[in-house]
Amino acid sequence: MGAITIQELTKSYGETQVLKGIDLAINDGEFLILVGPSGCGKSTLMNCIAGLEDITSGELFIGDDNVTNVNPKDRDIAMVFQSYALYPTMTVERNIRFGLEMRKYPKAEIDSTVKDVAKLLQIEHLLDRKPSQLSGGQRQRVAMGRALARSPRVFLFDEPLSNLDAKLRVEMRTEIKKLHKRLGTTIVYVTHDQVEAMTLADRIAVMKDGVVQQFGTPYEIYNDPANRFVADFMGSPAMNFIECTVKDGNVIIESGGQHHEVKVPSTQALKSSGLDTVVLGLRPEMITEPKPHSDSGYISQMSLNVLVTEPTGPDTLAFGEWNGQEVQARLSPEVGVKAETEGKVEIQVDTGKAVLFDPKTGARI
Amino acid sequence: MSSMNLRLGRTLIYTLLIGFALIYLAPLYVMLVTSLKDIEEIRSGNLIALPENINFSAWVKAWNSACTGSECEGLAPYFWNSVRIVIPAVLISTIIGACNGYVLAQWQFKGSNMLFGALLFGCFIPFQVILLPMAKLLAWLGLANTVVGLVGVHVVYGITFTTLFFRNYYVAIPNELVRAARLDGAGFFAIFWRIFLPMSTPIFVVTVIWQFTQIWNDFLFGVVYSGPGTQPITVALNNLVNTSVGGKEYNVDMAAAIIAALPTLLVYLVAGKYFVRGLTAGAVKG
Amino acid sequence: MFKYLENQLPKLVMAPTAIAMFVCMYGFIAWTVGLSFTKSRMMPQWDFVGLMQYEKLFANPRWMVALDNLWIFTFLFIVISLFLGLMLAIFLDRNVRAEGALRTIYLYPMAISFVVTGTAWKWILNPGLGIEKLVRDLGFTDFEFRWLVDQDMAIYTIVIAAVWQSSGFVMAMFLAGLRGIDDNLIKAAQIDGASTTRTYWHIILPMMKPVFFGAIVVLSHIAIKSFDLVQALTGGGPGYASDLPANFMYTFAFNRAQMGVGAASAVIMLCGVLAILVPYLYSELRSDKQ
Repeated sequence: MGAITIQELTKSYGETQVLKGIDLAINDGEFLILVGPSGCGKSTLMNCIAGLEDITSGELFIGDDNVTNVNPKDRDIAMVFQSYALYPTMTVERNIRFGLEMRKYPKAEIDSTVKDVAKLLQIEHLLDRKPSQLSGGQRQRVAMGRALARSPRVFLFDEPLSNLDAKLRVEMRTEIKKLHKRLGTTIVYVTHDQVEAMTLADRIAVMKDGVVQQFGTPYEIYNDPANRFVADFMGSPAMNFIECTVKDGNVIIESGGQHHEVKVPSTQALKSSGLDTVVLGLRPEMITEPKPHSDSGYISQMSLNVLVTEPTGPDTLAFGEWNGQEVQARLSPEVGVKAETEGKVEIQVDTGKAVLFDPKTGARI
Repeated sequence: MSSMNLRLGRTLIYTLLIGFALIYLAPLYVMLVTSLKDIEEIRSGNLIALPENINFSAWVKAWNSACTGSECEGLAPYFWNSVRIVIPAVLISTIIGACNGYVLAQWQFKGSNMLFGALLFGCFIPFQVILLPMAKLLAWLGLANTVVGLVGVHVVYGITFTTLFFRNYYVAIPNELVRAARLDGAGFFAIFWRIFLPMSTPIFVVTVIWQFTQIWNDFLFGVVYSGPGTQPITVALNNLVNTSVGGKEYNVDMAAAIIAALPTLLVYLVAGKYFVRGLTAGAVKG
Repeated sequence: MFKYLENQLPKLVMAPTAIAMFVCMYGFIAWTVGLSFTKSRMMPQWDFVGLMQYEKLFANPRWMVALDNLWIFTFLFIVISLFLGLMLAIFLDRNVRAEGALRTIYLYPMAISFVVTGTAWKWILNPGLGIEKLVRDLGFTDFEFRWLVDQDMAIYTIVIAAVWQSSGFVMAMFLAGLRGIDDNLIKAAQIDGASTTRTYWHIILPMMKPVFFGAIVVLSHIAIKSFDLVQALTGGGPGYASDLPANFMYTFAFNRAQMGVGAASAVIMLCGVLAILVPYLYSELRSDKQ
């Protein structure tokens, strides 16, 4: 049905190659997110899937059909655009009908589909309006309604929430997720917002420079990043990267004026890599005030000189220095206040989920 | 600034503005009053004096019996010549311009930007440089001195402007609209017809007015490519004024000039906003 | 196959225009340039004679008069139109009442053809019955105003009529430019204690630079192409004292059966336009890229 297989896909504009051999297999009914910084090729890849851009080489299958050379309208896909791309001279209803009329559906069927879609998205009261009379959130709903009406095999979403304000964005995010649960149709969704990626996706493809850096579940991407780029891009606040010297398969952290030899999970790999220095990647939530019952076998205690704190509400980020490099810790609000006034705090560091990178290449060790 | 100075400044501004308005209006006023006088009064009175008796005979003569060279049928036949040239030329060049603009803005292909640049350049060339070969081409096609030939010339050299107008209008519309429609199953023409045309009314008005004014007011192509029976009104007006059979009749000249100017003046008064928009659009880039 | 055809549709739609353009513009320009190197007179013929026609052209006193006239006309036309247009725009921009009506009045001549303009001014400037008589009737019985029939002054009548026709348009360009200036900028200047005059002179006018350039390009373009106005107002006369290159070209190519000379003069006109246009387009494109 709606499975998508992409094989060795490349795309070039003249001399410049923007997609450099993409291989992805998306299961039927899966919610895939393409994420990456701007210019990474994610939108181009989506347009190639839609057929709006020709593929330079490689193959593309939807279900069992090879659609590499099929016209966009015959691929049985629907797309929601960043600017919504609602037809400005048509009413909401005509916007939704348009795709069905073009495909010569019988009138009665169109009528009932429009009714169903409008009900599903709660836009029944907007059907007679023009797009210019709608708010951003309403336009977003209509754009989704237009895609939904055709019940295609695959939905493509091109940064659909980036034009909405923060609150509405969170609301619509939940709504899209519910919709996916309900319909079970394959979705390919492009975003540059890693929070959106984490919250929505079944699987995420992180892209950079026309190459898929990592393809996996949000859990894998977050906890087991393939390289420093992925680790850095995903997660907010961002992961700490501290350059450390290596000693007997452990790393040395200088904090609060003292040196600590800290145990890391990948001791064997580290030893065999033969590196003298290494980049330690550690998420802020692994650096906290001491907690009584945690023991992953990788806990160290140390003190941290706090330069500044940023309360976020549920917890407070504290900024200090390890090995002369900035490090963020995530403290409870109460401890955070104390840390700010005293300029120093006792912390526990859990390196059970620490990841190590080659300082030169950024590759995972 | 004291309020005294301020008031003085305002008075000065208004005096200047109104003074210039009168200067700009003066020629039209002079034309009008002259056209309503008889020739005796013109000789005895002066430019700006109001006519003693309003007299429409100059208008009647200008319309249907004044001599434009050897013919003495007034401007009427030439007025209709102009109408016969203007209507098809405006329609055809506008429609072609709309299609071209749609392609150049929304369906770019390799080399389309270069093509646009080459077209843009055409807005600037002095027509003298194409006058001779175009005359040869028209003769070769058997279209010399015909209305069809003139229409063709106006279409060919009008397309540059109409394309420019439409292209600049459509280029502001996000390409996502075309993409959305393609996924909805609409083709090249369906997208143009059902999505782009319905939102093009303003630019159609601008373009039609621009082309209408340009072609109605054209003299160069008219004088070079028309024959005795197909001359447009501008050429006939010039002939009428320069024909000196039996003494100058300034009142007839002025009536004829107003008749020749009337259509474009009316368009300007009715749709001035669009006229100015076309002028500035055509000027800034063209 | 079908998909291929559909993908070619945009090109197919552009094809007639592209062909017409390459034939009727670039092809014809090449034809005219080629012709200017031949000794064609009545009929085109292709014996190349090098620069003979250009030599003939620049040895022709009538052409030299037309060129001189073009400089005089272009310079005065541009300077006066810019001055009037800018002045009217600045005054109109100062919150005057009936702005719409005034604007309509300043701009209406632009809707009229040059032939009508020429006809009207020919009458107004008529020696004997025009302005001369008007002023004499006011009591200045010795007043003389005969520029229209004066060899040395006829070209200035064309300047007057052209300025009347086009300065309103310059006003519209400047007004649009002035309206595009951020109000906060003017407020900031006032808070800094700048007088109205200083604000205009040091802040607003420098920001109008692109409009100045745009207006100059358009006006010089109008000037080089000017043909109908001369034809209607002075007929190039007296004699050929008020000829412009466009009139020269028309006379030689079509009335005198001197195609080679006509073509050469047209090529010189094209070069004139290019000399203004190329630097302008170049700077426009460069600023577009930035």
